[in-house]
Amino acid sequence: MIYYFSIGILFSNIMFYMKYIKALLACVFSLLFAVSSSQSDIDYRASTIPINLKIKANAVVRFDKQIVEINDFDDMYITTKRIVTVFNEYGNRHQNAFEGYDSNTKIKKMEARIYNESGEEIKKIKLRDFSDQSAVSGGTLYSDSRVKYLSYTPVKYPYTIEYSSEVQMKSTAFVPQWHPIDDYYVSVENSEYKIINNSNVKVRTKSENFDTYNIEVLSDTHVKAKNLSGIKYEAYNPGISNIVPSLKSALSIFNMEGVKGENNNWGDFGKWMYNKLITGTDAIPQSAIDEVKALTANTTDNLEKAKLVYQYMQDKTRYISVQVGIGGWKPMDAMDVDKLGYSDCKGLTNYTKALLEAVGVPSYYTVVWGDDDIKSIDSEFSVTEGNHVILCVPNNEENIFLECTSQTNPFGFTAGFTDDRDVLLVTPEGGKIAHTKVYNAEDSQQITTANVNITATGDISAQVEVKTTGYQYGLHGHVVNQSMRDQKLNYKEYWDNINNLEVLSININNDKNAVVLKETIDLKATNYASKSGNRLILMPNMFNRMTNIPPRYDKRNLDFKLQRAYKDVDEFIINLPEGVVVEAMSEGEKTESKFGSYEYRIEQIDGNKLKYSRTYIMNKGNYSKEDYSTFRDFKKRIVKLDKNKIVLKVN
Amino acid sequence: MKKLLTLITLMAFVTITKAQDYKFGKVSKEELQEKVHPIDSSANAAVLFKDEKVSFLFTQNQGFMQQREVHERIKIYNKEGYEWATHKINLYKGSSGASSEKLLNLKGHTFNLKGSKVEKDKLKNDGIFEEKLNDFVEINTLTMPNIQDGCVIEYTYKISSPYLEIDDVYFQKRIPINELRVKVSTPQYFNYNKKSNLKAFFSPNFKESKEARSVNMATNTRKLHLGVNQNAFQTSKSEYFDNVVKISESNIPAIKSEAFAGSMDNYLSKMSFELAAILDDNGIPEKTFASSWEKVSKSIYDRDDFGKQLELTKFYRDDISSILQDITEPFEKAFLLQNYVKSKVKWNGYYGYSTYRGVKKAYNEGEGNVGDVNLLLTAMLRSQGVNANPVLVSTKNNGIPLYPTRKGFNYVICMVENQGQYVLIDATEPYGFLNVLPERALNWQGRLIKRDGSSNWVSLMPNKQSLESTSLNIKLEDDLSFTGKVRQMITSNLALRYKKRYVGMSQDDQTKMLEKNKGAIEISETKMDAKDNGAFSISYNYRLNDAIDDIGGKLYFNPLLFMAEKENPFKLDVRQYPIDFTMPFKDKFKVNIMLPKGYKVEALPKSEVMEFKEGAVKYTFIAKQNGSYVQLSTELDLKSPIIDSSDYSVFKEFYGKVVEKQAEQIVLSKI
Repeated sequence: MIYYFSIGILFSNIMFYMKYIKALLACVFSLLFAVSSSQSDIDYRASTIPINLKIKANAVVRFDKQIVEINDFDDMYITTKRIVTVFNEYGNRHQNAFEGYDSNTKIKKMEARIYNESGEEIKKIKLRDFSDQSAVSGGTLYSDSRVKYLSYTPVKYPYTIEYSSEVQMKSTAFVPQWHPIDDYYVSVENSEYKIINNSNVKVRTKSENFDTYNIEVLSDTHVKAKNLSGIKYEAYNPGISNIVPSLKSALSIFNMEGVKGENNNWGDFGKWMYNKLITGTDAIPQSAIDEVKALTANTTDNLEKAKLVYQYMQDKTRYISVQVGIGGWKPMDAMDVDKLGYSDCKGLTNYTKALLEAVGVPSYYTVVWGDDDIKSIDSEFSVTEGNHVILCVPNNEENIFLECTSQTNPFGFTAGFTDDRDVLLVTPEGGKIAHTKVYNAEDSQQITTANVNITATGDISAQVEVKTTGYQYGLHGHVVNQSMRDQKLNYKEYWDNINNLEVLSININNDKNAVVLKETIDLKATNYASKSGNRLILMPNMFNRMTNIPPRYDKRNLDFKLQRAYKDVDEFIINLPEGVVVEAMSEGEKTESKFGSYEYRIEQIDGNKLKYSRTYIMNKGNYSKEDYSTFRDFKKRIVKLDKNKIVLKVN
Repeated sequence: MKKLLTLITLMAFVTITKAQDYKFGKVSKEELQEKVHPIDSSANAAVLFKDEKVSFLFTQNQGFMQQREVHERIKIYNKEGYEWATHKINLYKGSSGASSEKLLNLKGHTFNLKGSKVEKDKLKNDGIFEEKLNDFVEINTLTMPNIQDGCVIEYTYKISSPYLEIDDVYFQKRIPINELRVKVSTPQYFNYNKKSNLKAFFSPNFKESKEARSVNMATNTRKLHLGVNQNAFQTSKSEYFDNVVKISESNIPAIKSEAFAGSMDNYLSKMSFELAAILDDNGIPEKTFASSWEKVSKSIYDRDDFGKQLELTKFYRDDISSILQDITEPFEKAFLLQNYVKSKVKWNGYYGYSTYRGVKKAYNEGEGNVGDVNLLLTAMLRSQGVNANPVLVSTKNNGIPLYPTRKGFNYVICMVENQGQYVLIDATEPYGFLNVLPERALNWQGRLIKRDGSSNWVSLMPNKQSLESTSLNIKLEDDLSFTGKVRQMITSNLALRYKKRYVGMSQDDQTKMLEKNKGAIEISETKMDAKDNGAFSISYNYRLNDAIDDIGGKLYFNPLLFMAEKENPFKLDVRQYPIDFTMPFKDKFKVNIMLPKGYKVEALPKSEVMEFKEGAVKYTFIAKQNGSYVQLSTELDLKSPIIDSSDYSVFKEFYGKVVEKQAEQIVLSKI
């Protein structure tokens, strides 16, 4: 038995989200219709799977057929049949044997059968035997959606599961999308997707990544795939959803939990959101209006006003995830947010928008994919998508985006969660696509300076200052609110290259206005420089060593992506004690590539002082798989140069 | 004089604290004005006051109903503490309303200071979310309105339960508790065993007393504790008493997590109650549950889903006779049958010492909980004349069973004895072995129950040191890269850990995994093998670049190359809980370095032996030159897996020295 797994980050949340959407929203009904798949053709024996599909796969989808019947703008019936052979425990999650449901989604039929390796049926699971649970996930306080799922403990691998379901949905805002490959290490023998439109409603579709795969297009709404091999996870990949084939669909007239909408383009969809979901939810009490007006009375500048109002909102509210109302798409009334002091991203954004309106500052409710991985709203195809909401404050040419779920975020700071991506602005005139702030290398800096004393026995004591901005500000920001005990642990882990590190004092200055974090740390460590006879071997790069080399691939299959640019600048002054002299050291070295640049220098200054300086710039970009080994070599070189040593002689 | 003054101030302070009144719905300005916790400045929130009362209320219709009343007041200092404004209450739902727990009288307020005015916001229905998690549990989540830095929240509620089982009462949280009042009153008719967690860093004082009670009855049913509803003809008054446990404590420190301590829940201060007996009016037990380990064991053994299961033999008899054929040695039989059970019945992830499906159904369907799997194995072994018995276990997450209780166990394994020797087996772990239990089961000691119902303790801790033995061959090439071969042999519980990580993985992924964090290395010819004796072996070839410094004509490198421990994982200055390494182990290295032509050794790391606590842990490092070879042998010998928190700073320093020693370099110079 062989299994494959992803080293590092497992498959992206995005894929999970897609499944979840499918779960929340799968489907419609017609009694006349039945899946007439050529079921008899299916061989349940694991041995009949073509060998090329078994490589790089924890499971093989033998057969997958989804029929989406559109009977009206508010009536959709989804029939699914899926046969999967699972080779090991990591393949179990590809069963996909679950359905979400709520008041608008009815599970009409649900059944699973399990077959052993030689194709004999060993178990049958009926609708009532599926486990039933609230679909509340991790951080969500409450949600009215539920899920039925199969909990089956495999006795032996491989086994084959045949799953079929029929689901009727009144909401048609989330038409199931076709992703024949939805994860790493899963192969597909046969997959079919078909929309049967029995209504007058127009169905739009958009295909992605069809060229590089074996896809048979029967019509705009009917596609088939055969023999798609599994994809192996590789580091720095551009996101599996950007690699695999998919077919997106949307109805021109749709229903979201009883609210009718039109969607031919983002303009329509945005207009619907504005009119049906947001308008009428933005009233706030007079007391709040008076307060923000008083707060901003001394300024006429919109940006200044927005800053004050944002701070007001941050002080007054907190984030709570409560997914209720219109499929989790309608914001809570601003009046309630004001009263309760909490809400989710939609409610808090809408509330901030209302507060800004009260002081005459226009702003737009904005739908986005929020994640550390950069993912855009598809500017070319309007479909219900996104997992988060932020607020856009137009400011001349530049749009400012506010994260309203954080009580501590600096004004306009988006790095690491909503930066550099296309988003949907919901304006009174309709939806508009905009791009959020791009943080370039100069915006995202980490400047480390240190003054170090070293003793003749190799002990060090130092004052270190780390200044961060932009994306790197976000990476360091968590220390601000930590207790002293945890801050100390944080620095011991941050500088894990220094054994026996003792943190003496910590001073943190978080300038939220300028968005600069300054950490000043006094520390000491025994035996930092290692002894060898009467010599001391000292690594001058004490406080910013790169140690990770990207994983090695004999043959890289996927192109790769460096998501963000950043810049590190370091300068350490090392004071040598009396009687200790430099026996050998290098002057420095430089290396450059299209991925970035790196340089370090060591100089002797003022007699017995050494100055170590280092600059490292990382560029962002999309690169071809052929470039990967050059990229790896570049990083490898830096790891080596960061280990450079000075030999000191103790007299 | 100065001392006296302090004393007086202190007393005054104490008086003030005691004088504080925590009436629901009223908070003081002082409470709202407080900016940081006076004792623990790292606290983001603190429980100012918590009052929890458990009692039993008799009504004629329902009999005794358990009431749990909670009143909690929490101060929130900053935004990191906002999570404490949300509180979850789990209710057990039975098949009917009468067998379900109910939440009653839920009320709450948030208090903020606006200028000099105290503002009060009420918790309303829109802040209470009721949700059915599954068939058994309903979660009620409440989230308080208008939370701001410095606010105080307060809520009170009552849970009414038809069950006699009392949930554990907790005395500690992740935030400090300033004032805690607990009162647990149990009617004389129910005898509960109570025990506080001895592993806790904090333990409260408790007072026991009796309180008189009376109820008016519309009938003269004598056995009022059975709560039977009879036709009423007359009214009478019944007198009885409650056994009362009271706790009143101040300034309970927050529990803070520490690495290598296992689950922090094991260290939370709490008290458990277990129903031991139901008594009649005269205090004579009518029904007993548990009062000694013997009785607990016996009562478990007598259950249909435990002892009876061990007698079922028919359904597998034919299947196993062919497997054993002419094997006579009991341990060999045990080895073969545990393999058979592992292949036939898979563990579904559920714990429990008793069977869920029953061994027969589990056998037929190929799936079961811990009880199903290991009782099936025990039954099979017994049917073959092997002296096999079940051993009750409390898993690491369940904590150590403190006192005779059925609740204290949640797991079962199998023990086979023969001629004074024994093996422990857990067939739920696919890579387990005789005497190699999964880590979840390695919790101090288990209770062995024999056929006649008699029982005694057996140690679960691995008695054999796990060995990790590595041989590392190093050749320094002309281009200053290193090449060579690594061979590793790992035994016992450590082998299980390796098997769980590597068995079944493709060779390519194994290589990727090995290459991680080893610098500029290329690994090839990876071979991994699970041996018949339970050991695990790894071997591979490597080429390592960038691991040597050529400075001023001299070569510097670390003789352990990528195998050296790079950092001391023990970073806290002080610890409150012991370090748990899970198993005793020995980590050995034999390094053989072939020197390049034209170089001589200028400096070698010094040979050294370091000891912690008279050899409880010992590190040996020996380096010597032998012609054109340098040989290194090192050994870390840890005899007991537990390092006491009182020895922490010494151990931390010891471990730091080991890491330092492993960082020492060899220096070569040109001849």
